[in-house]
Amino acid sequence: MNVRLVAIVLMAALLHACVSAPSSTGRKDSSLPYPTGSSSPVERDTQGVREEPEVAFIPPFGGVPTPLENEAVLPPSFPKSAEEISGQAVVSLMRQSNEARSEGKWDLAASLLERAQRIEPRNYFVWSALAKVYLGQDQLDQAISVAGKSNSLARGNVYVELENWKTIAQARRANGDSIGALQAEARVDEIERLLESSKG
Amino acid sequence: MAKNPTRKKSKDKPKRSLFGRLILVIFGLTILAVSIGALVLSGYAIQLDEEIRTRFAGTRWALPAQVFSAAQDLYPGREFTAKQFKYELDRLGYRASQELAGPGTYVVGRAGVSVHVRAFQFWDGPQPEAKIAVAFDQSGIASMRDLEADQARDIVRLDPMLIGSIYPTRQGEDRVLLRLDEIPMLLREGLIAVEDRGYYDHFGISLRGIARAAMANFEAGRVVQGASTITQQLVKNFFLTSRRDIKRKAKEALMAVLLEAHYSKDEILEAYFNEVHLGQDGNRAVHGFGLGSRFYFNKPVSELRVHEIALLVGVVKGSSAYNPRRNPKNATARRKVVLDVFLREKLISQEQYEEAIAAPLGVAGSKGGTVARYPAFVDLVKRQLKGEYKDEDIVNEGLRIFTTLDPQTQELLEKNLSAGLSKLEKGRKMAPNTLQTAGVVTSVNGGEVLAIVGDRNYRYAGFNRALDSKRSIGSLVKPFVYLAAMAGDPVRFHLQTIVEDREIEVPLDRKKVWKPKNYDKKTHGPQQLYMALAKSYNLPTVRVGMEAGVENVIKTLKASGYSGDTPALPSVLLGAVDIAPIEVAQMYGTLAAGGFQSRLSAIRSVTTKEGTPLNRYPIKVRQTLPEGQTYLINWALTKVIRVGTAQHARSAIPPGTELAGKTGTTDDLRDSWFAGFGADLVSVIWMGRDDYKSMGFTGSSGALRLWTQLMKDLKVHGLDMIPPAEIEEQLTDPFTGLRADEGCPDAILIPYLQGRAPTDYAPCARAAAPTRFEWLREIFE
Repeated sequence: MNVRLVAIVLMAALLHACVSAPSSTGRKDSSLPYPTGSSSPVERDTQGVREEPEVAFIPPFGGVPTPLENEAVLPPSFPKSAEEISGQAVVSLMRQSNEARSEGKWDLAASLLERAQRIEPRNYFVWSALAKVYLGQDQLDQAISVAGKSNSLARGNVYVELENWKTIAQARRANGDSIGALQAEARVDEIERLLESSKG
Repeated sequence: MAKNPTRKKSKDKPKRSLFGRLILVIFGLTILAVSIGALVLSGYAIQLDEEIRTRFAGTRWALPAQVFSAAQDLYPGREFTAKQFKYELDRLGYRASQELAGPGTYVVGRAGVSVHVRAFQFWDGPQPEAKIAVAFDQSGIASMRDLEADQARDIVRLDPMLIGSIYPTRQGEDRVLLRLDEIPMLLREGLIAVEDRGYYDHFGISLRGIARAAMANFEAGRVVQGASTITQQLVKNFFLTSRRDIKRKAKEALMAVLLEAHYSKDEILEAYFNEVHLGQDGNRAVHGFGLGSRFYFNKPVSELRVHEIALLVGVVKGSSAYNPRRNPKNATARRKVVLDVFLREKLISQEQYEEAIAAPLGVAGSKGGTVARYPAFVDLVKRQLKGEYKDEDIVNEGLRIFTTLDPQTQELLEKNLSAGLSKLEKGRKMAPNTLQTAGVVTSVNGGEVLAIVGDRNYRYAGFNRALDSKRSIGSLVKPFVYLAAMAGDPVRFHLQTIVEDREIEVPLDRKKVWKPKNYDKKTHGPQQLYMALAKSYNLPTVRVGMEAGVENVIKTLKASGYSGDTPALPSVLLGAVDIAPIEVAQMYGTLAAGGFQSRLSAIRSVTTKEGTPLNRYPIKVRQTLPEGQTYLINWALTKVIRVGTAQHARSAIPPGTELAGKTGTTDDLRDSWFAGFGADLVSVIWMGRDDYKSMGFTGSSGALRLWTQLMKDLKVHGLDMIPPAEIEEQLTDPFTGLRADEGCPDAILIPYLQGRAPTDYAPCARAAAPTRFEWLREIFE
């Protein structure tokens, strides 16, 4: 299982590297929430010989995450924090949301994240934070769903997935779903072990 | 009058002189009469007093709910040109000027646009006014600076637009309340100067005024001047009918005096400013200067300029006769009269006077007014509120409704549908206005309704086709048929599954047999499943659907957002199910969001009129469709545009922008649909005829054209199509459906559920095991 995760991580890392270059200028990073331009995987189809009919394309990576023999893979180059992929407006809104959260103003915290989400609809850090707000509001089903949505958008970003699985585990536990919580906690452990091993 | 009884009584008291007795009696009786009169009068007065106090204390007006658009966020990196920004500011009633002259003004300079943003009471609290300099570059907003704090700003929120109000349909009094301290001095003093010069000196009625009016009327020989004070006018509007007779006049005077006895001059004046009738917009009556200012000038009263104040003060005399939209000449003349008074009373300088006289009327919007702009959207807002608030609260309590409407998107939708329909009609030499249309645009993540059109004449608040016109969706159903099949049997059904495009007979009951046909009445042989969907072939859809089970297809429709209850008939597989455009947007929105459904909402939050939050409508998400299969269907829907029935879209959408969508056409070309999405937006367009007659357009030749131009104008973002974890991609030989490699010239990269990709190599693959004829191939190579 570990091996597979590494493979997924590696592949997703490649994918991500292919899709976006983290921006530190504070300008909205065009790769997120909307990867456009020639590096987008969407383009792969059009890079082929002919456009129609469907074009053959040989991906630079297997396409299928096959188990890797060599575990000494590079640590994933996923963005670890929202700052790495978000424009300054979204960073600012997320910061304000955090403040509101620490003051117990849950509705305000949520509405600030919704504003951020409207600016960068596919920013999985925003969705991940929103899941935590829902957890804080005891809206457990929403916390689970929104964390799942963040996972779906994160496309393998383990750092975000780690946070989301933590949210899901807590929400399931609070919901009385102890088996589900255990499963989620297992995912948390798994990702943590993976991150630990990739450090070494 | 009191003399008769005195005689009777006088006989019993002989000792006093007759005169003395008479005086005494008259005196006594006068006191009695006055007392009785006073008693009666005071009884009446008490009754009136009661009436005044009940009406005047507490809630004076039923306040319609105010409906606001979504607020625009400005931030560095936003794709927004200086031109678009200026347009947006103009729409919000901001005024271009040479320098920032208070809230609601902006300056266009070489370096960018500086704007004095208005203060606004948002859902999450008050936002103070701010002076912001916005700089632009090639891609949009480059930076923003707070001019007062002299520091960079990450994000600035503009005040939202008031897009309508929800008032009782019968007596449609609408108003935006003002406090006296919100009323500009010139408006306050100017109104008094014109309507009631002695307002602060009289006690409700003005004897001097009556005398002056009487003189004037006497000299003219007819009624040319009234003597109503502001207090009397308020009483008349507030408590009395419009009947003109002496009894009512007396009552009015008495009430005016009573009102003055109870309330201060300022309180009465404030009420007057909010009560006065300033115009009519259909069955909606525009009351008070707060709404009047918005109705005529599309901005708050604090930003009115001299000539605009003069115009509004002039309209008080007669909102119909001096209506600046209908009777601009009268209104201009009246404005001059008012400005003359302003000058004479030294409220304005000679310079201001001349400037104001020279200014055009400057009334915003068309004849209909500026407020009720987006009837189809406000209709949706009303319906969403209906279940949650009492009707009387919606129309009485002055609720502030913050909606999801994006005015830019809305205007593009309106323009595209209306102009696009005319163009299509012209192209086919049809009579104008033969076709009707409806359209919905929503956000992919969060499910916000951004724009709605329910009639090609989009200002018309009639039948709202976007919400109420349930029509057969035709081929729009097909993605859900294949989705049901792939979810139900992932081994049997994937994108590369070969399905037969040949005739099929479906027994309906003992006698009837259904024999569906393709649109072109032909058959096309074996098809890959995704191609059958992309080309919108009917026969493979029916085959796959019958195998998956009609019940399961309906379940999938429901999971995606269909709320109806169609019977499980095979014809459902070809879209014989009636759904309104808004619900189609919900269904395709669930696909667009990768199976994570957000119920469509038109409202973000509701507050009381003071700004206290009542209700928030947070983004809610629920996974209702399997993520993997939804990705597969979306992939196939991108093929509809690349190689299928919607290739027209490629002509307008920039290359590399991947969009997904589906055409829908119904029998005899009664309905033409297109539903589709990019990464951020879902749009659904329907066109057809209200009388259900054939109109001659397919989904492809009709609605798709409108959709394409719309998506282009909206600058929709392309899908990123990064497969989720449960998907693997495999180069596949289209002819055999087997695994391909660089040796196969026509191979396609096809997504599969993990572990479902073909593992055996196709004959064309280099990695394929050498066959008996391999040596032959090698010779030729």
